[in-house]
Amino acid sequence: MSTIAQRIGKITLLIISLCICFLPLLPGLIGLFVSALGYIPAINQYQFSLTGFNQLFDWPGLSQSITLSLFVSIGSTLMAALGCFVILQSCWQHPIWRKLELFLSPILALPHVAFAIGFAFLFSPSGFISRLCAQFIDGFTASNWSLINDPYALGLLLALMLKEIPFLLFMSIALLKQLNIEQTMITGRSLGYSSAQVWQKIIFPQWLPKIRFSLFAVAAYSLSVVDVALVLGPTQPPTVPVLVWQWLNDADLATLPKASAGAVLLLVLCVFLLALLRAIEWLFISYHRHWQTRGRFALPVTGKPLLGLICSISFVVIPLLLLWSFAQRWRFPDWLPSRFSLRFWQQEWDYLYDVICSSTVIALISASLALLFAIVIHEHNNGSSKPAIPLKIPKLLILIPMLAPQLSILFGIQVATLLTNSSAHMLWVMWAHVFFVFPYIYLALDGPWRSYDKRLDKVALSLGMSPLRAWWRIKRPILLPAIWIAWALGISVSLTQYLPTLMLGAGRIATLTTEAVALASGQDRRIGAIYALLQSLLPVFFYLIAIIASRKSGHKLSLNRTNSILSPRAIMKKTSLRIKKLSINDNE
Amino acid sequence: MLKHIGFLVLLLVSTLAQAASNDSDKQSNSPLQYSEKQWQKITNKAKGQTVYFYAWGGSQQINNYLRWADKRLNEAYGVRLKHVKVTDISEAISRLVAEKTAKKDNNGSVDMVWVNGENFKSMKKYDLITDSFAKKLPSWRYVDTSLPVENDFSEPTLGLEAPWGVGQLIFIYDKANGRTPPRSFTEMLSYAQANPYKITYPQPPAFHGTSFLKSALLELTTDKNALYQAVDKTDFQAVTAPLWQYLDQLHPLTWRQGKQFPKSSAETNQLLDDGEIDLAISFNPNEVIRAQNSGELAATTEAYALDAGALSNIHFLSIPWNASAKEGALVAIDFLLSPEAQSRKGDLKTWGDPTVLQSEFISGSAKQTKLFKSVSEPHPSWQSALEAEWQKRYGH
Repeated sequence: MSTIAQRIGKITLLIISLCICFLPLLPGLIGLFVSALGYIPAINQYQFSLTGFNQLFDWPGLSQSITLSLFVSIGSTLMAALGCFVILQSCWQHPIWRKLELFLSPILALPHVAFAIGFAFLFSPSGFISRLCAQFIDGFTASNWSLINDPYALGLLLALMLKEIPFLLFMSIALLKQLNIEQTMITGRSLGYSSAQVWQKIIFPQWLPKIRFSLFAVAAYSLSVVDVALVLGPTQPPTVPVLVWQWLNDADLATLPKASAGAVLLLVLCVFLLALLRAIEWLFISYHRHWQTRGRFALPVTGKPLLGLICSISFVVIPLLLLWSFAQRWRFPDWLPSRFSLRFWQQEWDYLYDVICSSTVIALISASLALLFAIVIHEHNNGSSKPAIPLKIPKLLILIPMLAPQLSILFGIQVATLLTNSSAHMLWVMWAHVFFVFPYIYLALDGPWRSYDKRLDKVALSLGMSPLRAWWRIKRPILLPAIWIAWALGISVSLTQYLPTLMLGAGRIATLTTEAVALASGQDRRIGAIYALLQSLLPVFFYLIAIIASRKSGHKLSLNRTNSILSPRAIMKKTSLRIKKLSINDNE
Repeated sequence: MLKHIGFLVLLLVSTLAQAASNDSDKQSNSPLQYSEKQWQKITNKAKGQTVYFYAWGGSQQINNYLRWADKRLNEAYGVRLKHVKVTDISEAISRLVAEKTAKKDNNGSVDMVWVNGENFKSMKKYDLITDSFAKKLPSWRYVDTSLPVENDFSEPTLGLEAPWGVGQLIFIYDKANGRTPPRSFTEMLSYAQANPYKITYPQPPAFHGTSFLKSALLELTTDKNALYQAVDKTDFQAVTAPLWQYLDQLHPLTWRQGKQFPKSSAETNQLLDDGEIDLAISFNPNEVIRAQNSGELAATTEAYALDAGALSNIHFLSIPWNASAKEGALVAIDFLLSPEAQSRKGDLKTWGDPTVLQSEFISGSAKQTKLFKSVSEPHPSWQSALEAEWQKRYGH
C-alpha cells in the first residue's frame, strides 16, 4: 500500500474513532444542562428558569443523601486503594502471586450486580451466614440490624470496596512492571530497610500517581452507581443517583426539572470528588513528604487475610446462586434447601436463550469496536510513527465517559435520540455501549502500550518496513496477550451495562443485567439467582477464552522472573533477527 | 325435496337471526361495538405485528402468564406479545410524554400498558390515550358490569382502558407462629406493642405501601367523604392528622424501627417466610395459594382482609395514542379479556388474579375465587399527596 493511501486510511480511521467515541458527549452534556435550566419541551416548559434547582434543594433529606453518596464513594475508594496496596505489598514476591493471576480474571469477571445479589444472600439477616450461625447457636434468630439496605450505607460501601480491589490489582500489575520493583527492593534492602519500609516509603509514592486514573474511575463509579445501590444501598433516603433515577421515572412528570437538576448536582459532586482525591494524593505524596524520608517506620500490615476474604466471598457467590436457583423451599434457618426443584430453570429456559443471545451480540460488537478504536487512539497518542493529526488526545477527555455519572450523560443522550424520531434502538444501545466501554479498554491497554519498547519499531522502520507492516508483524504479536485481556474486559463491562440498555433501548432490549436487576426487585430469589448466575458465567466464559488465547499467542507474560523472555535486550535481539528475516523475504 | 330444503334454510336463517338478536340483547352497547367486518379488518392488519406490552415485571408468575398469552396469541392470531418489564409503569409514562413532546404521533415505542389509578389519571391528563376502545371489543360482552369497571379510583374511564382483573389489599399471616393477626389498624398498633419489630409495610411510593396508607387513612380519619373528592378541595392536614399520629406511634415498633422498609410486597412474603415479620401484604386475594405452590410460603399461611373490608380496585389495560401496533394491541386485549385467558389468569396455581368476567364464563380453579368485602379506593389525587407527605415526614 502506498504511503499516501496509508496516511489517508490512518486519518479516516482516527476521525471515525473520535466521532464514535466522543460525539455522544455533546448531546449528553448539552441536553443535561438545558433540561436542568428548565427548558423541558416534554412538559411544555420553554422558558429557562431555576425551578428545578429550587425544587431540588427544597427536597427534605437531600443533604443526607449527598453525605451518604460522598461517604460511600470516598470510603470505598480510599479503602480499596489501601487494600490493593496492602495486598500488593504482601503478595508481590510471594509464590501466592502466581495463583492470584489465575484467580484475578474470574473475580474481575463477576459482574457488580451478581456480586451484589450474592453479597445480599450472604449477609442479610436471613442470609447464608446467619443460617450457618443458627445451626451452631441455639435460639439464634434473624437479627434486627442488617448490612443490606442499612441507613448508613455500610453494606454498599463494603461491597463496592470488595469488588473494586481486584480491579485496582489488575490495573496495578501493568503499572508495577514499569516501576522496576526488583532493583528498588535490592537497593532498599541493601541500605538496611525492611521490605515493608521499602514498599511504603518508596514504591507507594510512585504507585499512587500512576494508579490515579483507575482510582478516579473507581470513585466516579461508586458515586454514580444505580443498579448496585438499588440492591444494597440505603432507602431512606437513597443515594443521590438512585434519587435522580426515581425522579426520572416518576409518574408525576413535574419531577422532571428536579431530576435534571439532580443529574447536574451528580456531575458537580463527581468533579468535587475527583478534585478531592487529587488533593489527597498531592497532600500525601508531594506536599507532606517528610514521612517518606524520615525514619524507618512502616505500618505493619498484612494483606493475605484481606485477599483471602475477597477470594472467598467472590467464590462462594456462584455456588450460593446455584443452590438458590434449584431451591423449592429454603426457609430460615435451614442452611440447605429442604426441597429442590428444576422448575425454575425449566420455565425460564426458552426465554433465557433470547436474552443471552441479545446480551452476547451487543457485548461482542461493542467490545470489538471499542477495542479497534482504543488501538487507533493509542497508536495516535503513543505510536512510533508520525501522528496523522499533530494533536495528542488528552487522557482526561478519553476517560470522561468513565468518570462522569452515567445517568447524567444518558439523560441528555436520551433527549437527543427522541428528537431524531427514529426507532433504531439497537443502534443507540450499541453506540452507547461502545461509548462507555471504550475508556476501560483504553485504560487496560495503557500500561502495555507505555511499556512497549519503541526502539523495536525504530529498528523495523530503519530496516525498510512500512509503519503498518511494522505494527502488524512486530508490535501486534508482543501486545496480543494484553489485547486479548482488554477485549475480555470490554465484553464484561458491556455485559454489565444497565442504564444505557434500559434508557436508550426503550425497554425493548432485554439483557441479562436488565433482567437481573428487575427480578432482584421482585424478590423471588430463585429466579433472581438464575439471572445473576448467568450474568456471572458469561463474562467468565469470555475471560477464559481470552486467557487461553493470550497464553498461546505472544510471549509468555510472567511478572516475577527477572530474566524473563521479556527483558528488553532479549526482545530486541529476537525481533531484530525476525525483522531481518522478513526484510530478506520481502526483498526476494 | 325442494320444500324440505327451503324449510331447512328458513329454519337456519331464523335461528341465526334469533341468535343475532339474542347477542345484541346481551350487549349493552351494540351500536358502539366493532362490527364483524371492522373486527375482521383489525385482525387481518394485526397479523404479524409485535405488541410491546409495558407491564410490571416483578412477579415471575405474571411473567409466565404473559408468555403463555404470547404463545396463544401467536397460534390464534399471528400476533406476538412482548412483555417489557418495568419496575413501575411510570417509566413508560415518562417515555410517552417525551414522545408526545417530540411530536412522535405514530410508530411509538409503547403499544400497550398495564395501568390504573394515579398513572391512568396522568395518562389522561397528558392526552396519552385518546381512543375509547374498551366497549367496542367483542369480548366486552363477557365483562361483569356490576363490578366498578368503568371507574378507575373514582375517575371515569370513558372506555379509554379495558378492565383486566381485580385487586384487593389483603394480609397474609402464618398460623404456625400461634399469634392471632390484627383485624384493624388500631388492633395492629396493639399487636406491634405486644410483639415489637414484627410489623411493617412496603415503603411508599411503592404501590402496596401507598395502599397501606390509604387503607389506614380510611379507617382512622374522621372525614371519610373528603377522601372521595380531589385532595386540593379539602384540608389535607386536618383530614390526615390521625394517620400521621398513628404512624408516629407505630414506626418505632416496626421491623428495623422505621429506619428501613421492605421495597415491595414480594419482599414482605420473603420476610414472612424467614420469620422476620408476621404480616405480608398483597393485592392478589389468591396470593397465598400461588405462593405456596411455588414454594415461597409455608403451607400454614393464610390470607385475610381487615374487618372494615379490603381496599379494592380494578386494574386495566390501555393503548397509547401513538402505538405502532395498534391493531395488534386491540387483538391482544380482546384475547386477554376472553374466557379462556381469564380462566387461565385466575387459575389458583399460576397467578390467581380474580376475573372481571361474569362467573358463568369462567372455568377451572379460577371459579373458586372468593372476593372479600370491598372498600373503594379514594380519589387518585390523594395518592401523590400522601406519598409526598410520607416522604417529607419519614423519608429520611
